[in-house]
Amino acid sequence: MNQPLLPLELQVVACVTLLAFLAWLLYLVRFKRLSLRESLLWLVSTAVVLLFSLFPRLLYDLARAIAVQVPSNALFALAILYLALNILSLTIGLSGGATHVRRLAQECALLRAELDAMRVSLEKLGAS
Amino acid sequence: MRALAIVPAWNEERDLAGVIGELRRAVPGWDICVVDDGSSDATAAVARRAGAVVLRLPINLGIGGAVQTGYLWARAHGYDVAAQIDGDGQHDPQYLEGAVRPIVDGTADVVIGSRYLGPGGFRSSALRRAGARYLSWFLRLRCRAHVTDPTSGFRVAGPRAIELFAAHYPSDYPEPEAIALATRHGLRVEEVPVVMRERQHGTSSIGPARTLYYLIKVSLALLLLPVERSRKVEISG
Repeated sequence: MNQPLLPLELQVVACVTLLAFLAWLLYLVRFKRLSLRESLLWLVSTAVVLLFSLFPRLLYDLARAIAVQVPSNALFALAILYLALNILSLTIGLSGGATHVRRLAQECALLRAELDAMRVSLEKLGAS
Repeated sequence: MRALAIVPAWNEERDLAGVIGELRRAVPGWDICVVDDGSSDATAAVARRAGAVVLRLPINLGIGGAVQTGYLWARAHGYDVAAQIDGDGQHDPQYLEGAVRPIVDGTADVVIGSRYLGPGGFRSSALRRAGARYLSWFLRLRCRAHVTDPTSGFRVAGPRAIELFAAHYPSDYPEPEAIALATRHGLRVEEVPVVMRERQHGTSSIGPARTLYYLIKVSLALLLLPVERSRKVEISG
């Protein structure tokens, strides 16, 4: 390896940025603003990207393995995959949330009706 | 036989009292429950004044979620029969008596009121009729369900169907999917002829642009049905 695959400055900036992002994620999880369940994919995928920044060699090997001519293109493909996966997990969470909201709203309607009926029979009791 | 009429209503203060009055005259022994799907007008008050049980949803869930609320009520209170009647006056309750018969006789679990079986009445636009024909073809192919009017919201459910629909009911244009769901769970679906009226106020929830979305959504839902079913069996088992 005569010439570094990634200029050292660039590597440092990338790693520091990713570490800061990871720290922010952990902070959010730590103070319950993000559930561990929801953030797991972010944590794992960010750790993988960090691994690629620490060892750029891996990216070259990956590019060769999947027959991508220019390693940076493999990087872009990877980045898009990273975002798409995280957005999909978000949508899955949203769908689950919508199902729960529907069930809760229905339960709420049933309870309101039971409460109405109870109020009416109480008033009847009070009147007699 | 304890029977419940489920009337999903979203901002129907104008026509709702008439619908409830018709129901009382057509099927005097039935209980009536209006599902107020997050209306911003006086729908709930009108329904209460007319003497119906009101299930008031805090948010607008759409027709699927609203109808299911009615089935949940029917299941919780042990009804033998539950019928869906739209709150906008399109459905004539006089057909309920006939629609209930196959369930009482034990030949069907779900009965659909079809506007295409009998003569006359409001049959909606040519585009929608073509869509209905396509969906009925798809249902026959996919689920062996013979239904001429798959988008009809006029339905009567027996005990097994109440149980199923309370647990699982599709959302977002749910009618054809509900038929598929029923047949997939081994329920018998039958049709009776009904005459529908044109709605008095407001517009249909499905404009021409949305018809395409409707068809694509429902087609996909029908295609993906087996996957969903196997998961549901696991959950209930």
